Amino acid sequence: MKLKLRIRDREYEVEIKKEEQDKFKIKIGQKEFLFREEEGEEKISFARASLPKRDFLKKELLSPIAGIISEIFVKEGEFVKKDQKVLILSAMKMENEIVSEFSGKVKEILVEKNQEVKEGDILIVLV
Amino acid sequence: MEIKKYKVVSSTNLIAKRLRPEPWLVILAEKQTVGYGKKLSHWFSPKGGLYFSIVLPKSKIEDLQTLTILAAFIVAKTIKDNFSLEPLIKLPNDVLLNQKKICGILTENIIGKEVKSSVIGIGLNTNIDKFPKELENEATSLKVELGKEVNNEKILKQIVEGIKQQLKTISE
Repeated sequence: MKLKLRIRDREYEVEIKKEEQDKFKIKIGQKEFLFREEEGEEKISFARASLPKRDFLKKELLSPIAGIISEIFVKEGEFVKKDQKVLILSAMKMENEIVSEFSGKVKEILVEKNQEVKEGDILIVLV
Repeated sequence: MEIKKYKVVSSTNLIAKRLRPEPWLVILAEKQTVGYGKKLSHWFSPKGGLYFSIVLPKSKIEDLQTLTILAAFIVAKTIKDNFSLEPLIKLPNDVLLNQKKICGILTENIIGKEVKSSVIGIGLNTNIDKFPKELENEATSLKVELGKEVNNEKILKQIVEGIKQQLKTISE
């Protein structure tokens, strides 16, 4: 079963799958968690606690400021290195080179050239 | 004030961005081959003009926006105080004289998780004798307006000091 969850303007893909007889796999983004049916809440809460909160947000590049996308340097499917220039955001007559905070593969580019963006908008998703 | 001087560069902003040196270093060039403004629009940069970039200390992005405007104000004030001319600021980043462009300012930031580096580039038409036909009605220089040469180095120092003071007043 696949679900899309929206929490505070962010969308997460959640997949719940029965692996073996009593085993379930829950996949959130790229992270996987295994559960046994008889393992009740305890295990689940353990999993939750051990889930670093940042992982959900980690590979999204957000707009630091409202502006207009004036150039995009990467393509979907391409690998980018940390600190690699990914796009230029023009704002208040300043040209802002946005560099990637992470290394990874470009999963999705959510903006296009000349598009207006708000502060906090997701620009690029990496995996 | 530390000034790194070049005879010819592509663009002082490009050099400043590539070097990522200490804050307040000034990159000064006699001539730029690919001087540019916002959206990479060409900035006519022959010998005689004043072309420089200032490496800014790490600042909040809101402060940098304000600083671009303040830099335009400082350039206008420097022109007014030194030469009794009446410049006009075209917000946020151009300075006009007699309705013609005399100075353009472009702030460029590199932003990852936070602002990694910022440079402010200023192109001031000081000792430019003549503009190409297509710019004649759009651009002017101090030399054209005053009929005499001005001291580039003195103007440079006044502007850099002015920006330094302004940044102090808007960020802690």
